This record gives sequence, structure tokens and C-alpha cells, in this order.
Amino acid sequence: MNARTITHAQLAALVTDLVAAGTAVTAPARAADGRLDYRHVARLEDAVLGGGLPRLSLKALFLPPTEPLFSFRLSGPDVAIDSVPTSFPPHVVLGAVPCDAAGVQALDKVMDWDYRDELWFGRREATTIVSVACSSRDEACFCGATGGGPTATRGADLLLVPLEGGFAVEVVTPKGEAFVAVHEERFGSAPNEADVARSRATLTGSRVEPVAPLAPVTAWLADHFEDPLWADVALRCHGCGACASVCPTCHCFDIVDEPEGVTHGTRRRNWDTCQAGRFTLHASGHNPRADQHVRFRQRVMHKFSIYPARFGELLCTGCGRCSRACPGGMDLPEVLRTIAERAAAPAGGAA
Amino acid sequence: MHATLDKESPFEPRLTAFVCNWCTYTGADLAGTSRLQMDANVRIVRLPCTGRIDPLFIIKAFERGADGVIVSGCHPADCHYTTGNYHARRRFAFFKELVEFLGLPEGRITFSWVSASEGQKWREIVNDATARVRALGPFASYPGTALPAFPATDPHPNSIATAKGAAR
Amino acid sequence: MRELRDLAAKLLSEGTVQVVIGWEDGPRGVRPAFVTDPAAARNLVFDERCTQNLVPYLSPRRAHVAKLGRPAVVVKGCDARAVAGLVRETQLKREDVVVIGVRCGGVVADPSSLEALSPATVADRCPGCTAREPHLADHVVGELPPPPPAESRRDARIAELEAMAPQARWTFWQEELGRCVRCHACREACPMCFCERCVADKTQPQWVESSPHPRGNFAWHVTRALHQAGRCIDCGECERACPVGIPLGLLNRKLAQVASEQFGHVPTDDPAVPSPVGAFKKDDPQEFIL
Repeated sequence: MNARTITHAQLAALVTDLVAAGTAVTAPARAADGRLDYRHVARLEDAVLGGGLPRLSLKALFLPPTEPLFSFRLSGPDVAIDSVPTSFPPHVVLGAVPCDAAGVQALDKVMDWDYRDELWFGRREATTIVSVACSSRDEACFCGATGGGPTATRGADLLLVPLEGGFAVEVVTPKGEAFVAVHEERFGSAPNEADVARSRATLTGSRVEPVAPLAPVTAWLADHFEDPLWADVALRCHGCGACASVCPTCHCFDIVDEPEGVTHGTRRRNWDTCQAGRFTLHASGHNPRADQHVRFRQRVMHKFSIYPARFGELLCTGCGRCSRACPGGMDLPEVLRTIAERAAAPAGGAA
Repeated sequence: MHATLDKESPFEPRLTAFVCNWCTYTGADLAGTSRLQMDANVRIVRLPCTGRIDPLFIIKAFERGADGVIVSGCHPADCHYTTGNYHARRRFAFFKELVEFLGLPEGRITFSWVSASEGQKWREIVNDATARVRALGPFASYPGTALPAFPATDPHPNSIATAKGAAR
Repeated sequence: MRELRDLAAKLLSEGTVQVVIGWEDGPRGVRPAFVTDPAAARNLVFDERCTQNLVPYLSPRRAHVAKLGRPAVVVKGCDARAVAGLVRETQLKREDVVVIGVRCGGVVADPSSLEALSPATVADRCPGCTAREPHLADHVVGELPPPPPAESRRDARIAELEAMAPQARWTFWQEELGRCVRCHACREACPMCFCERCVADKTQPQWVESSPHPRGNFAWHVTRALHQAGRCIDCGECERACPVGIPLGLLNRKLAQVASEQFGHVPTDDPAVPSPVGAFKKDDPQEFIL
């Protein structure tokens, strides 16, 4: 593993280089209301690195909330289809939080499953993800339980770990290595290992994870589809979908054809959520998930049972956004702890 | 038919008018049979009553290329259905305040009461509205200091910009 | 709080209701509680962190809550207006719910923060509140706390926006509404958005584009604000639910100002007062109509 360093000044110069060369740089930055969002930045000073979770995850960069799939127009007696490009201009994400980078990588599996999603991978190929180690966990975070952590590298091409005057740069992927090579003059030599270790230790700290590793939860979910727990834990759920929109790994979408006039229009895909009442409404009028507790069960099972069974990894990175965003006070770590307790309890007792 | 928009001609605005059948539509018809000359930029959509007009009609008109909208019906106390225009009046008061609060300039939407016998008034309404919208410019682009284009569709602020030449 | 807990336990043990919907402490602050066991009534709390309006849980669409049985709901004065709104619009029979009013001195905007109530943390709707003691209630409990901080940031912000040129205002709203991802949390959290089938979900025809591009978002937010005009009970849930921080409260408050200035209507917990959009006066203002 190739380790380098970069000073704050050189990082600022690197951002300027990238922007000057026409590469978009996205970083956490303050919106008008003071909250952090991933936004285009022109200068490093507009970015906030290591300052906490942006409101929406990185998912929006690779699976936009709305995205054209193709356009169609009447052409004589026929309909002509105009494709969208599937290659994208170069892009660098600077300051991704580790749980967001991990989420993007988790989605690669489903995006390459029954067919290869060219738009997703076009954006993935064009983008270099530079994570920054996280120093802002709160009680909603449970990245440790999902195999992540403040210095996790999953999904990152480079990981920046704070040091005095700049960052240690951990090169994670060949893409990361190539990026460093192209911008060689901005990077310093390898850091002092002890300094890096100290920095990592500060970040990891002595925090007690709010949720234990999730294998017992996954096992319990396989056998408790009709458990009365679901009716209990979902009472306060509004079915609003705020959780799905802030989640790094929720990826359901709806496809619509939008006329732009009498003779032409666009087919788009738009974010959707299994928490919405109409999500599974059939044309016949039947809705197999007619109640909120059934919809909530689906969300938990998809993330902690179905996706692992199919792809070998969880569809959750423990970022905690769902709990923070929920207007109804739902708390996923609490639900997972409750399930873990049930999983550990001796069998027996009426439902 | 109004003038085709091309490089040579000046901007000719396209207006959609939502009018009630019993008063304004008949008034507009009277303007026609009286051979009153007026700007030809307005396409009329006939409804039974202004009470039927959903603000979404107005939004849709702008979405589909209208530069201005006229909404017109019977004077209060003259509604063919007795109370439709009273309901419409409140609804449009809310709508107008809301869209102006959102930044739509006054002048793109015109509300009026035009009775079946007010052919002259209809001509004035049409000509005034057309002149006002012509001065404001196309809704979908901004010459000079006019308003920003009605929302472009892509890219979403949270997404990566699509490559040049992307379809919409 | 003792009064609230005792009352809840009594209603449950006497069988007057089968569930008391109130607030309790959760892992990260206060959250809704669905108390079915009189012994659990001791979990109920009421303080300045009880921002959430619980009335949406009375909607018949929440079948899993309805299954618990006849409810009692704990309401602040602002929440009580939602009960009145539902009764007024025949979505709820007054006798089908027991209303427990709490006397209130204001709540924080963000119940998960640990900060105390102050002018900086108070919810936008609280300053100037005239509903600190709910009228529409079967029982009213608690001591009346001091009034909330008086300064209203919200009306000042509206005035600031109205003083801007239309172009600048448009730019502001395009940026705010542009972040919308059409999750519809605003709608789902709202007690007065109870339509079985929202107009935005209708596809034949599609009046409101469902895509979260600025054009679709504009149509959605205009539609929702207008459908709430004169009906919004100003509980702030829409803005609190929005995951991308759109200041929806400004739109609803602006139209509430119009309802008050032009039609003499203010939100009330008296179901007998008609909604301004179903009603009209022969001399309603019409200077804007040529």
C-alpha cells in the first residue's frame, strides 16, 4: 500500500488545478441554511472536510434524483429515440465520508446484477472518490456494525487521514494511484507512521458501538417474516420516504414518460421508495404491502437479509441518516438492537 | 395564427386564456362577430365556469410554452352556476399571491371579469395582456434582465452534470 | 406530567380508550408513544421537546395504528387545530377520539437537539402563540408555562423576501425548491393532507409531473401550498420532515397571511368555524381582477 502526504496548501492548489482543467470537484459545503450538502466547489476553502455528514449521501451523484434515459420524438410515421450519453466528464469527490463511499460500492453489485446499468457505471468510471476520515460520529451512527468505521476505505480511491498541516494519503485503488501519478507534484512523500497511527486512534477512540455486528440480525430476519415485532416497531412510521431519500444505499426508482410537447418527450427515472403507500399498488388495485408495518419490514429485510443473501453484503453502511431524518422518531439502531435481543433470547413463547 | 418565431421576427408572445363559457367566451365571440381588431396571440380554452379552473391549468400552460395566461369569467353575482366565480375569486387570490411570492413577475397572469356583452372589454384585456407579456419577454429565456428561464429540467443540483450534448 | 400520566392510565384501565398516543423519551430524544398498557402510561412526557404533531396518527390510512383501538391523543394548542380541521372536513368524528390537551409554553424546532428552549431554538410558529391552552379537548392538563420567546423570525423573513425584486425571489425559490427529491415527506407528515389519492399521484392525466426536476417541483409545491391555503394548521411538520431543508413553512405562512388579511381567517381549533376555501363573501377583495 502506497502512502503519501498532502499539505493543506497543496490540496487547495490541487483543487484549483482540477477545476482549471475542467474536472468538476464535489465536496461537502455549506448550503444557505448552514447545513452541509455535497456541492460543486471551485476552491478548497468552500469545502468543509471532516465536518460531519452532508444532508444527502453520495448516491445522488451516481443515481440522480431524476435522470433522463432517452428522448423520443415523432419522426414522420415513426418514433425516433435519442439516447443519452453513457460516458461522463471527469469528476472528483473530495471529502466523501467513509460511510457514503461504502454505500456507493455496495450499490455496484445490484447495478451490475440483472443488467449492467450503463449510466451508473458511466458515472462511476468518470469519478474519483477521495474520502476523508470521519471525526463526527453521534448516537445515530453505527458504521462499526456494518463493517465500516471512521477510517474505512471501502468505496474510496484515496483516503485522507488528518495530520498536522495536512493529510496522510492512503492509496486504496489503482484509480487512486493513477490520480496521484497525474498530480504527482501536489503530493509529498510517505508520512510518519506513528503520526498516522495516532491520528487514526483519535478518530476511532473508545466509542461503544450502539449496535453489535449484524450476523444474528440477518439470521433472525430469515425466519421471522410474520413476527408481531413488525406491528410494534413501525407504529410511528409515516411512510414518508425521508429515510430512503437520505440513505446511501436505497436505490429504487420509478420510470416515467414525460411529454414535453405534442411531438416529443423524455423517459426518465426518478427516485422512489418502498415506504410509499402506492409503491406496490398493482394495476388490479391489489396492494400486497398495504400497511406501513409491512412496508417497514420490507425495508429492514432488504437491507439486512435479502441483499446479503443475494450479494453477500449488507445494504446499509450505518450512517444513521435515516434515524436523524425521520420526522416520526423511528430509530434503526434501536430496531436492530431489539431484533438482536430477540435473536439472543431462548426460543419459545407465544407470538 | 400568430407570427412564427424566427431570427428575423421580433418576439411574439403566446398567451393561453382560460375563460368561462357563459360570459367571457360569449363576450369574446361578440368581439369576433363585431369584427373588432385585436392582437392574435391568444388561444382560448373554454370551461363551463371559472370555478372549474384549477391553478394547475395555469401552471401547465406555462410548462407547455405559454408566455402569459389570461383567466376570465362572469362578474360576481352573474355566474351561470350562481357561486362558481366566488369560489374562483378566493382561489385565484391565493394563487396569485403564492406565485408572486415565488418570484413570478406580475404581468404574466391577467385575471378579469368580462361579461357576454363586453366584446370591447375583451379586446382591451387581450391587447393589454399581450403588450405586457411582449414587454416581459419569453417565459423560457431571459433577454436582458428578465426572469430566469422557467426551470430547466436537468441537471438536478445534486447530480453530476451530464456531458455536453446530452438529450435534455 | 403526573396529571397526564394518571389521566392516561385511568382512560386505559377504565376501557374508555385502548391506546393513548402521546410522547415518550426515545434513544435520541422525544418521540411518539402508543401506550396500550396502563402501567406504561408512566412513560408519557410533555415538555418543550414535544414538537411533533401526533394528529396524523389518527388518519384512517394508518391502519396499523387504527387496529390498536379507540384512541386518545395528546395535543398542544396548535395540534388541536388539526383535530378541528379533520372534524370540520368530515375526516374524523369528534366522538371517535378522546382529546387530551396540554398547556404549552413553546417547543423547540429540533427535538433531537439537546438545547433548551430559547429565542434561537424555538420553533418558528411559537412566537406570538394565542393557543397555549387548547380549547378543543376533553381534558386539559398541566400548568401553563411562561409564554414562548416573542420574536418571530418567520414573518421577518417573508417581509425580506417580498422586498426583493421578483427575479431575485425567483432565484431564491428555484434554489430551494431545486433540492426537492419528491419524497413527499411533507405530505405524509401533514395532518391535513389526507387525500386517499393525491393529485400528484394521478397519472391519467398527469397534472403534476412526478420528476424531481425544477419544473416538476415547482408544480408540486405550488399545488400543495394551494391545497393547504386556509387549511394549514401551522404545526410545522412539513418543514421538519423535509430531508433537504426546504423552508416550506414560509409558503404556508405566506398563504395564512393572505387568508387573514383578505378573508379574515386564522387557524382555529373550533371546528364550527368554516374553512376560507369552501366559503366566500360577496364582497371578497378583487382589486387584482380587471
